[in-house]
Amino acid sequence: MKIASISGLAAPLAFCLLASTPFSAPSLAADANNTAAEQSNNTLVVATRRLNEAQYRQSIADIFGDDILINARFEPERRERGLLALGNATLSLTAAGFEQFFNLSQDISAQALDAERRDAIMPCVPAANSSFDATCATRFISQYGELLFRRPLTQAELGARLATAATGTEQSGDFHTGLQLALASLLTAPEFLFRMERAEPDPEHVGQWRLDAHTRASRLSFLFWNSAPDAALLAAARNGELFTEQGLQTQVQRLSTSPRVEDGITAFLLDMMQIDGFDSMIKDASIYPKFNQLVADSARQQMVKTLVDLLVVRERDYREIFTSNDTFLNRPLAAVYQVPYTSTEEWAPYTFPDSAERSGIFSQVGFLSQYAHPGTSSPTLRGIKLHEIFLCEHTPEPPADVDFSAVRDSDAATSRERLLDHMSNPGCIVCHQRSDPPGLALEHFDGLGQMRKYENGQLIDVSADLFGNQFVGAQGLGRFLYHDPRASSCLVRNVYTYGTAQMPAGSQRAYINEQIAQFTENGHRLPTLFRQIASSPEFFHVVLPEGTQQDANQLAESVTAQ
Amino acid sequence: MTKTINRRSLLRGMIGGATVSMGLPLLNLFLNENGNAYANGASIPTRFGTYFWGLGLTDTPAGGTRWVPGKTGFDYDITPELQAIAAFKNKVSVFSGFRAIPDTSPNLVHWSGHASILSGVAPGSSGRFEAPTLDTRVADAIGGTTRYKVLDIDASISRRPISYSTRTGTTFASPDQSPLALYQRLFGDGFQDPNSDNWAPDPTIMLRQSVLSAVTDQRQALMRSVGHEDQIKLEQYFTSLREMENQLAVQLQRPEPRDACVLPQSPEELARAGSVDVVNNNTRVMARLLAMGLACDQSRVFNFVHTGGTSETYVPGQSKIYHQITHDEPTDAQLGYQPETSKLAGLVMEGFGAFLEEMDAIKEADGTLLDNCLVFALSDTGYAKIHSLENIPMMLAGGASGRHKTGQHIHAPGESVTRVSLTAMQLAGAPVGEFGSGSMRTARPVTDVIA
Repeated sequence: MKIASISGLAAPLAFCLLASTPFSAPSLAADANNTAAEQSNNTLVVATRRLNEAQYRQSIADIFGDDILINARFEPERRERGLLALGNATLSLTAAGFEQFFNLSQDISAQALDAERRDAIMPCVPAANSSFDATCATRFISQYGELLFRRPLTQAELGARLATAATGTEQSGDFHTGLQLALASLLTAPEFLFRMERAEPDPEHVGQWRLDAHTRASRLSFLFWNSAPDAALLAAARNGELFTEQGLQTQVQRLSTSPRVEDGITAFLLDMMQIDGFDSMIKDASIYPKFNQLVADSARQQMVKTLVDLLVVRERDYREIFTSNDTFLNRPLAAVYQVPYTSTEEWAPYTFPDSAERSGIFSQVGFLSQYAHPGTSSPTLRGIKLHEIFLCEHTPEPPADVDFSAVRDSDAATSRERLLDHMSNPGCIVCHQRSDPPGLALEHFDGLGQMRKYENGQLIDVSADLFGNQFVGAQGLGRFLYHDPRASSCLVRNVYTYGTAQMPAGSQRAYINEQIAQFTENGHRLPTLFRQIASSPEFFHVVLPEGTQQDANQLAESVTAQ
Repeated sequence: MTKTINRRSLLRGMIGGATVSMGLPLLNLFLNENGNAYANGASIPTRFGTYFWGLGLTDTPAGGTRWVPGKTGFDYDITPELQAIAAFKNKVSVFSGFRAIPDTSPNLVHWSGHASILSGVAPGSSGRFEAPTLDTRVADAIGGTTRYKVLDIDASISRRPISYSTRTGTTFASPDQSPLALYQRLFGDGFQDPNSDNWAPDPTIMLRQSVLSAVTDQRQALMRSVGHEDQIKLEQYFTSLREMENQLAVQLQRPEPRDACVLPQSPEELARAGSVDVVNNNTRVMARLLAMGLACDQSRVFNFVHTGGTSETYVPGQSKIYHQITHDEPTDAQLGYQPETSKLAGLVMEGFGAFLEEMDAIKEADGTLLDNCLVFALSDTGYAKIHSLENIPMMLAGGASGRHKTGQHIHAPGESVTRVSLTAMQLAGAPVGEFGSGSMRTARPVTDVIA
């Protein structure tokens, strides 16, 4: 059955959703008790986006308190077209991953409802601790269910958890144990572990769809705070405010001016700049004796601190990430950068002097060491990643039929000469003439990112020519990137894609161009770009999934029949 | 499906702290695949696993091969790159000449080869498979009665976890990457010693089951409104949930005694380094834990990765990684092969030798654990320098409880790799009659190795 359904991609199910019978307008009226709203039969799940580790942690901290311990190993994520946000929208949960979340769910609910914390999170006091109090349980499950599912629970969802709580209370003789089980069940549910984005018929445009109010709330909340919607945002969704221009603006304003916006923008930057994998970085100890895990962790932090300070705190021009030498150092990093560390603080601001030859984020140890081999630098890897991360230009897979047997092992002293040897091969040159030049400009930094002028006794040449654009060293590369319009365009597209988990479609070209123009007009400021995109109707654009059928009940039957 | 336990009535008897002997209803999952007999401890189960190493073995167009034995059939000759398995020659069948046939799909380097072997379909893009991998089908057939349906292990010490096991084509298993993580999975919380005299069911398990049942109750309502892709994802979610339910159900059963099962010591956390000596040592330590996990019947199916497709392993102190060397190193005109590459291939195979040694070290009845296993060892590529999909090295190790006629060299130039995949599944006991698509579709196992 699995094979059939996967290879069946070749023949997508008939798609006839639009231009269909008029749907009754979905009910958006707030349920008076703020519980157990029935989901309209007409809503459709248009995307399931697996929560990532940071979103999971932040949601739990926001809902139950930031002192809840979360001790688990999260499933690996998947990057697609440069973004984890896109890849995560394709992921499910493996058995090992499920087990982790299942264990966590019990761990978290036990902590949340332990005797000390209970009073702070319970919305009511049960009639007795030893017997089931249906009213209080309903209030508790409804309240936390809405926060965790990011929408009110349906009657059936509420009912299932009430049954769990009642049975648990009866068996254990303890009301709170029963609630713990119900809470664990909410935390294990796909509606919590995945962001289920739903669309509903648009009452103002017959035959068209729109994202429902709670999906809108989640898109905003995860974009700005990297977390689930808070009570105020859920209320705005419930009241239909997110469908009005003014209501939307009020929330965008509130979310984007909160100090928590730093979390949201940081999460985006970590994703786009691919600042991950530092836990498992490997360097050969005999070649890079200064490398250890502390250096790797510090290098990651340095990148984050630099970006946040520049783009969020100081709201500088985005393009300065390629040229600014303002950064932060700690002691382990200072050793790698060969800078004396005199501060008594753990981290201290630092500006690289001109002679350090650094220029912006890509010349930091984090980037340079990440895109290198365990025992050597790699101009090719660095060049590929510079194109991919900052210009959204993806290097195709190497063709399988490249005749490597023509490649001769090179005894040349420097990477440049070794790569130039390869350039004589027409099969290689197609990609390498693009990937290598920016990397060659960074060759004054070894596989760990340490400054060097010589390789195997020979002076390293860091001049580069990228399709007629000539630059020298990291600083030349930085200036080149600063003036390359692709950098701004790449950022704008990435913010949109990150927030919606959809690549902009061809039909959205005008929209993206307009966003780029506005971004430029606003001085290339990232926080402004976030507001601008979140305020645009396109941010809530509906893309119906393949194979969606007209009749929801029909779909259910076909699922059951499999 | 098997949600027929009356949890409430059972719990009533247990929560008071009494160790009642429980009469569990007869669940499907406690029966063997035919449903006609208990999977009892008297018969030792067959286990199945895959073992993956990256970058193939050396077989140059220029001057012959460093791994394909000259002799076919039984008692094949040991070639230089097979040296590490010499001691197990009689328990290992070697398959040469088989190829992946992508038809109109591209040859995705370091991807199409093992994707074809494991899923039967040449994928359209890297990072995805087009069909579930064969281990999941074997696990569905023989993995239902143990605590873990499948164990996924990555010994490669890589930058990212490596797994080539998938049910959806996009979500790959998340493997244990260190001996300590594997130890905790197998022998940490929730481990029940099958040889313990005072076994008692843990009453909290039934409470934990109720957490899951509230989720499954909502399955239908959820499935009603999702598109095709999301259906596949949610099916995988519910499959994972059922595996958890199964795990809990197994823990409520008194385990069958297992003579070979001895609780091992917790391993030390090893230093992380990717050099081949370290990876091989890691392979040995994790294989030892896996072997004991199998002997204690914690699982019957596993996937073991020694090194990934574009293997980043290296010889300590050398600046180039194995993958780079396979491409950059010229073929030595006199030798007819790449000497450094071939040396690394031999070192990488030492990992497999160590793996087999550990599997063979555990005695079971008259033989060893390895005799009751079928290990399907494979790589991503034939001759790595040119990303060849021809002659991808594959081996079947272990007797599969007598079903595998071991110790043969099968040479079948041009035949589809899926024939070996199908053979492996059938030897492991999966009811699969046909495998693969396009030119790789086959219903012909390699009958020479089937007893």
